[in-house]
Amino acid sequence: MSQALIDLLKEKLPDAIVSSHSHCGDEVVVVKREQIVDVIKFLRDDPAAEMKLLSQIACIDMLTFATEQTGGGSIGSLEMPAYAKTNQGPYEPRYQVAYNLASVTKKHRLRVRVELRSDDCTLPTITSLYPTANWWERYCWDMMGIEFTAHPNLERLLLYPEFVGHPLRKDYPIHRRQPLVHEHDFPDLVRGPGPGPGGANVPMSQTHVGRKNVDPNTYE
Amino acid sequence: MSNKPTRLPVLKPEGNVPESAGVAEENVLPVLLSRREDAIGFFETLMKGPVSNTLGWARKHSLFQYPFVTACCGMEYMSVAASRYDVARFGAEFPRFSPRQADLLMIVGTINIKQSPILKMVYDQMAEPKWVMAFGVCASTGGFYDNYATVQGADRIIPVDVYVPGCPPRPEQVLDGLKILQEKIQAQRHNVATLEREAVPASADSKRKSFLGKLLSK
Repeated sequence: MSQALIDLLKEKLPDAIVSSHSHCGDEVVVVKREQIVDVIKFLRDDPAAEMKLLSQIACIDMLTFATEQTGGGSIGSLEMPAYAKTNQGPYEPRYQVAYNLASVTKKHRLRVRVELRSDDCTLPTITSLYPTANWWERYCWDMMGIEFTAHPNLERLLLYPEFVGHPLRKDYPIHRRQPLVHEHDFPDLVRGPGPGPGGANVPMSQTHVGRKNVDPNTYE
Repeated sequence: MSNKPTRLPVLKPEGNVPESAGVAEENVLPVLLSRREDAIGFFETLMKGPVSNTLGWARKHSLFQYPFVTACCGMEYMSVAASRYDVARFGAEFPRFSPRQADLLMIVGTINIKQSPILKMVYDQMAEPKWVMAFGVCASTGGFYDNYATVQGADRIIPVDVYVPGCPPRPEQVLDGLKILQEKIQAQRHNVATLEREAVPASADSKRKSFLGKLLSK
């Protein structure tokens, strides 16, 4: 349905298009990073496209893409990424940023995608085109570490400022926690950092039950 | 003027009437020296047992809860608090939305790391005696949120008395947990508040003690 849009793009901005395909009925066009602003501005303003709605900016980490294809998932190995086991090296280009655009009036949609290499994951911002891109780009920075140049306020959107790293990257350790208040150590291998000294050093409130605080006539 | 009643001497509770007072025994009433002794006597006669039992009995049937509702377990909390399951039957019907007026902190839902300082502050603002119930599996252990954002159980931050499992727990389970907590409160040792201070060794600062402190230290 949106094939006409891709044809229009190929006619007007032939240098920007890398490739295009259709996935499950959704048309996808992969564009060059340098011209992402031009492409999106064209799609927004062209009377045939009229894509006034930016429904999402999503980011994908393709780090373990090659090994997942061959059956080696990333979740199964907690110690090292799956690609490290297969000596294949990380998949490049590692990141994909997808802009899901829609038109309310023309009733069509298009996915514009940019591929980024891991050594230079920066993108120009489109905050000047869509105000909603402000939070979406902050979200991508928060979770994936995609840096949007010239963004007016590129801070973390959901996580706290003390957080180090970007948790939705595939190489973020699955059990790494960054607590804000002091957490008691528990001798619990399943639930996270541990083993610790156990319950002995846990400060208790005056009425909190240790065994010593319980009336022995009742429980013993 | 001649009908002026005989003034009773002030007596210690355990003391007997001194012979020299010259007052008939039936005219003498035991005089309580303090409200503390008054309260102890009241509690002992109320339950015909030690003060601790009576205080525990009173406290377990009068829990003022602070619902720290963060997630979908709040729906079950509403069901528990509303008329069908009716937590009021167990004396815990009165949610307070200030931690300073509550003595049961119900952690209803997932605690994520960004929220943990708030939970800690709420717990610290509650006055003793206080108890904590972890409502649902997320508050108890983190649940299936085994990720970068979630505290793996509220007991990592504050002490928890009762864990109610379930995702979300049935209201019956919550009532079960409340009954267990009541048993626990009854079994704890409760003391009547006292103003007695430990003896402070005399120092240069002793003159600065408050008037009440001076009185009590004598």
